[in-house]
Amino acid sequence: MRILVVDDEDIVLESCQAVFELEGFEALLVPSADKALGAMKNNDFDLLLIDVKMPKKDGMYLMRKIKEQWPDIPIIVMSGYYTTETIQEAIRMGAATFIAKPFEPDELIKIVRQVIEKEERHGKKESPRN
Amino acid sequence: MFYSTRSKLIASFLGVSLLVGGVSLFIGGQLLYKAVLSEATNRVRLDLNAASEIYQNRIENVKTALSITTLGLGFRSKLKRQDSQELFNRIRRVALHANLDFAGVTTSDDKLLCRIGANPLSHDAPQPVNPLASLALEGPGIVAGTMILSTEMLAAEDPELAYRARIRLLATPRAAPRAEKMETSGMALCAAIPVLEEGKILGIIYGGVLLNRSKDIVDTVRDTVFQQEIYKGHSIGTATIFQNDLRISTNVLTPDGKRAIGTRVSKEVKERVLDKGERWTDRAFVVSDWYITAYEPIEDIFGERVGMLYVGVLEATYADMRRKALTILVLITLAGMALAIGLGYVLAHKIMSPVHRLIRASQQVSEGNLSPEIGPQSKDEIGVLQNTFKDMLVSLEERDRHRRAEAENRLLQSEKQASIGRLAAGVAHEINNPLTGVLTFTRILLRSKDIGDKNLSHLQKIAESTVRVKNIVKGLLDFSRQTDLDREPTEINRLIRAVISAMENQALIKGVSIQFNSGEDLPMLTLDRNQLQSVLVNLIINALDAMEHGGNIMISTGISLSASDTGKKGVEIAVTDTGCGISPEDLDKLFEPFFTTKEVGKGTGLGLAVSYGIVQRHGGTVRVQSEVGRGSTFTIWLPVEEQSGKDEDIGS
Repeated sequence: MRILVVDDEDIVLESCQAVFELEGFEALLVPSADKALGAMKNNDFDLLLIDVKMPKKDGMYLMRKIKEQWPDIPIIVMSGYYTTETIQEAIRMGAATFIAKPFEPDELIKIVRQVIEKEERHGKKESPRN
Repeated sequence: MFYSTRSKLIASFLGVSLLVGGVSLFIGGQLLYKAVLSEATNRVRLDLNAASEIYQNRIENVKTALSITTLGLGFRSKLKRQDSQELFNRIRRVALHANLDFAGVTTSDDKLLCRIGANPLSHDAPQPVNPLASLALEGPGIVAGTMILSTEMLAAEDPELAYRARIRLLATPRAAPRAEKMETSGMALCAAIPVLEEGKILGIIYGGVLLNRSKDIVDTVRDTVFQQEIYKGHSIGTATIFQNDLRISTNVLTPDGKRAIGTRVSKEVKERVLDKGERWTDRAFVVSDWYITAYEPIEDIFGERVGMLYVGVLEATYADMRRKALTILVLITLAGMALAIGLGYVLAHKIMSPVHRLIRASQQVSEGNLSPEIGPQSKDEIGVLQNTFKDMLVSLEERDRHRRAEAENRLLQSEKQASIGRLAAGVAHEINNPLTGVLTFTRILLRSKDIGDKNLSHLQKIAESTVRVKNIVKGLLDFSRQTDLDREPTEINRLIRAVISAMENQALIKGVSIQFNSGEDLPMLTLDRNQLQSVLVNLIINALDAMEHGGNIMISTGISLSASDTGKKGVEIAVTDTGCGISPEDLDKLFEPFFTTKEVGKGTGLGLAVSYGIVQRHGGTVRVQSEVGRGSTFTIWLPVEEQSGKDEDIGS
């Protein structure tokens, strides 16, 4: 399981890495949207975990870009400051689900597993994109 | 314009003056005229008495003149000697003085001795003796009165008299028909006096006045009784002597200005006076005009009705009086009407000007000026209105002030909320990221087996504190978020039942029972179910927290009108607990964010603030009543949206 985590805060990235490692997931951490797009070109990911609020190019921008080129990859959106509208917009743009910061490790793992399971149920016929 | 109070007032004044004028016209025209007429009738009746007196006087004159003559010694001796010539001289003198038309002397054996007429005694043929003299002889005694003399008799006395007595009958309107064309006999006032000596009749002296064409009596009546009152060039009073129904002596004039001799009395009068012998006092048609008249029959020496005596006043003079009176009354009425209009105008102005000022004042009020000029205080009902108006202004002002204060308060509140929101957003964003780290790594550390019990307990404390911080920040965010309402039609009782069943376990643990008294026939409300649910949950949690040792929570619903927004219909949800209550000084701060009376760590101080915001966004209000030691009641009022408003809200 390869997960790309995008957040401008190091502590969040590190937290996610620690949680995923314990679970045996492979996490790639990038601090910005541009870096995330670069990483996407060179790697295959099963899942993206994206922070909404980032300086310069935010999570929404990144999600739009990713959905243009890799429409099938599931995305989880996270945020420390959120409104119903931001959640709704994220879902509308194709996010699989939303998780509020700060989250418990168990909460994160549970959501990731749910998304993956759902993806596998629906997207089994299609082979992962190379 | 025509419906203005002024026109109404003027119209009613006009109505009154018209009514009064009409009534006085009626009274003047009818009753007064009748009274005047009856007065006039009375007068004419009296006048007739006077005329009758004059008539009788004339008879008396004749009698007296003749009587005096008989007293002279010479006269008797002459009569004894039947000295015709001397007697003639004497009676001619008497006739001259007493204005007699005829006079004569007869012997005791009813033979004529002499007469004064133009046909003096001729000895060729026996002369007819005046029946008057014969009557006195038969009497015996004095005979005096009215008598009809035949044309032959008149001719015997004096051909001139016979000529005077001949009167041609003139066609007269309203007279009874009569066949004759000419009246030849005459009517005379006469007397016959026997001359006595020692009980023996020496002879008879007689004499009289022919009334036909005579002006004497009637003009005397007119001049003495009516004293020459003139109306339109003629005397208003008239007098007439009738022979039968024929005017033989009169000063009533025909339309061409001549005395109306030869005209006749109207049929009604003839029937009453001549035929029945009654008096007549009433209006009657005389010759060619209406008169107020009085008639009485004239009886001759034999007691036969031979004629009538009449006096009358031209009715036109009274009609004229009436016309004048009516004219004056009409003028008075017109003046009254003019006065009514003027008075109505002035009064209306006086009455209406404070009202107009009030109208202007209320216009000013409607334009927003709450202290308009009302004008001087009236002492009447308008004054009451003015006072009420002033009271209304005061309460309007008060309400205005109240509303403004409320609005300012609201504005302040929302500004406060907005700034808290901005702060919360910033804080949340900044805190939540490091918090993620703290939470994550604490949990990871907690999983490792080799950290020792003491460290484990420390780590647990860190985790708990972090969760607390997390909750505070979440509460802050909830409070700051002005999330739009996702409204849908909701059955409020059902919503409350769902909340209660979710909270029942928690209540049971604390030994609290929750009762629900659901109001019937509540209208559907369009609500954000989730948000309102959180409001109710929050209220129940607060109630549970207020009851440490068990108790009751009573929730009730019902239809209610808004307390602040007059007359607006809504639904009330009251949550009553039997808890510790809220102290009065805390009541004011109850809905402020971060205000809490709970122990540290138990409440964020945002629950009620958030609930308040949610209810407010629904257009509702939250009210609190509380008594320390007895419990509190939180009452939520939610408006029933009108159909149009409902659509808008769903659309937004």
